[in-house]
Amino acid sequence: MRIGLDAESSWRLRDAWPAMLVWAAAAAAMALLDGRLDLANLAMLLVLASALASLWLPGAVSAVIGVLAVLAFNWAFVPPRHTFTVDLRQHALLLAAMVAVTTIVSTLMAGLRAQARRAQSHARRAEQLRQWGETLRDDADPLAQAGALRDALAALAGVDVALLVVKDRMPQGNDEDAAIRVGAADADQSAGLWHCLRQGEPMGPGTARHAELPDWYLPMRGRGISLGAAVLRGQGTDATQDPLLRAHAQALCDQLGQALQRVLMRRDEQRARDEAQSQAVRNALLAAISHDFRTPLATIMGAASSLAEQGARLDPQQRQRLAASIVDETTQLSRLTDNTLQLARLDAPGVALRCDWESAEELVGTVLRHARRHDPARRVRARLEPGLPLLWCDALLLTQLLDNLVDNALKYSPPEAPVEVLVRRQAEQVVLAVRDRGPGIAPAWRERVFEVFRRGESEPKGAAESSLAQRARAGAGVGLAVCRAIARAHGGELRLRPRGHGGCSFECVLPLREQPPQPPAEEMPP
Amino acid sequence: MTMRVLLVEDDAELRRTLRDALALEGYEMLTAASLSEGLALAANATLDLVVLDLGLPDGDGESLLAALCRRESLPVLVISARQAEGQKIRMLDAGADDYLVKPFGVGELLARMRVALRHRGTRVSAALTAYRRGAVHVDLAAQRVHRDGEAVHLTPTEFKLLARLVRSAGQVVTHRQLLADVWGAEFVEHTQYLRLYMGQLRAKLEADPAEPRLLLTDPGVGYRLAEPDEDPAAPLMPS
Repeated sequence: MRIGLDAESSWRLRDAWPAMLVWAAAAAAMALLDGRLDLANLAMLLVLASALASLWLPGAVSAVIGVLAVLAFNWAFVPPRHTFTVDLRQHALLLAAMVAVTTIVSTLMAGLRAQARRAQSHARRAEQLRQWGETLRDDADPLAQAGALRDALAALAGVDVALLVVKDRMPQGNDEDAAIRVGAADADQSAGLWHCLRQGEPMGPGTARHAELPDWYLPMRGRGISLGAAVLRGQGTDATQDPLLRAHAQALCDQLGQALQRVLMRRDEQRARDEAQSQAVRNALLAAISHDFRTPLATIMGAASSLAEQGARLDPQQRQRLAASIVDETTQLSRLTDNTLQLARLDAPGVALRCDWESAEELVGTVLRHARRHDPARRVRARLEPGLPLLWCDALLLTQLLDNLVDNALKYSPPEAPVEVLVRRQAEQVVLAVRDRGPGIAPAWRERVFEVFRRGESEPKGAAESSLAQRARAGAGVGLAVCRAIARAHGGELRLRPRGHGGCSFECVLPLREQPPQPPAEEMPP
Repeated sequence: MTMRVLLVEDDAELRRTLRDALALEGYEMLTAASLSEGLALAANATLDLVVLDLGLPDGDGESLLAALCRRESLPVLVISARQAEGQKIRMLDAGADDYLVKPFGVGELLARMRVALRHRGTRVSAALTAYRRGAVHVDLAAQRVHRDGEAVHLTPTEFKLLARLVRSAGQVVTHRQLLADVWGAEFVEHTQYLRLYMGQLRAKLEADPAEPRLLLTDPGVGYRLAEPDEDPAAPLMPS
């Protein structure tokens, strides 16, 4: 898309054929009318042809042709014929008139043509800007458009173009890793690009800055920030010819700058939203745990201070009971700490799990072993489907999940009601369920039970208060929240389902992976 | 003969509590609050066992472990916080005998210490060759396994795996150690092999494979064969 703005330079011989036609027609007419009209009328034809022909010809060419035409006319029609003898008195006026008319017409035409070309080029540039704006408006990754900008600038100015675009924010130093480059630039141009990027002002010939440079440097500006720069190499030499070229190139660059800034702002906005959310989670967590920690701490404090201050006056059984309650509450605190830490860890972005191939049977076996400590009556039973596939998971987290669920089920169901741990395969998933025969959970609470419990906020009162509200008050809030966080960290989900004849079932669904290769089968020795 | 135990723990309260509790059990106690102090004590005293905390103010417990493991017969018990997961496993693979996660009870610590002391010297002297717990009897020398008096048939790999656990009975053996010793060093990442063979062993040896009493799992760490009955301190069968 080379846009020349000087009419003369773009004129070519083949554009002149209408002029030649006019001259040929005029010559033919004059030859035909010779003898029938007098010389003055033939001369009028000559002036008409010259004026017409200059519509298609540059002024100078028209003038030269005009002079030649007058000479030819003189030779062919002016007596004495076939000589160049000019009767100046007769023809000087004619010649002067022809040259004058021709020059005026072709000058006017040249002006018109130039104007038309300028208008055309403006329209083309306006269209280009519009399309460029369209391309960038909804582009999620305007960086990828840098190549397109380089091509557009190169086509526009007809020179080599190199770009420097920063990926995120302006780096401290001229850090090449923080930016992408399109096109080749030498060391000087590189430094120029960085300088232009930092200054946010165009540099080079015709600009107010560093006019001595051979190249143009154009920044890609957003609002109050620039995010890239372009160098148009060697553009300086004919920069004066089109003052609008630079303005247009600058507009193209700025559009990319603005698009980049939009993306940056969108990213900042998201970051701020994420931060606000994790702050909210943290606050809720802190509120919940400060309560949950105080309860066992109060018991421990009471028992321990009693032992410390009244120890001598207590009988051995009382001392034993106090010590045992300290041990129990410490266990409780320890679990609470584990859950809280885990929840905070899983809440952080990019948490790394320590996954390995685990057998559901082993995980459940471990959980049962833990549960037996508070389950002397053996209420907890496990039922596992035979031939279960291995799970790709973090064993510690998954045992923590099941420990919490089993612990909850034991705590919130009647002392004789059974608690079941079920594992079964369901299509491409494995379901680990912990089911109890407790009082169940009111529908309104089935989702909220997984939220970190917010104390002091709208708690349901009176009769509407379900067993869940009691659960939450007893500190289940953090426990179930961490269970769900663990399930989700594994790409699974934890749901609560009411059971037909009362009680509830917490179901953790984990996706299955393609199974790892097994060792070769062995022969039994004889 | 009194056993001499070095306790390296930076928390003063816990150090004093553990020192008093262990002294009451008849151990002669040396205590250190830092890595450097621990190194100095370990270099100048004859020790029977080291209880080592991982989070020390002046450095990594691992360097002390490296120094201690040069004395082949000195058992080391690692105490760790739950977050120190990776480090704990590294220490076990590097030669620590067992670990305890804080907080723990004194009873648990004493039991682990007894197991570690019983195994003391097994790396230089002859290892355990027989194991009995409840209805299960393993004779490594004769390569025989009995349950309820009846012979149990094991595949060669099952037997190798069981034998490896018997040699460390009562102690945790990490996945890596088991895979390297039973299948070979190139299989240390193939945890799925262990899952399969442990499942098979449980099916043959456990009364209820879903709730094992013998072949115990330490999630994320390894396996532990329950302590044999011969240990007078171990209960015959926990409820």
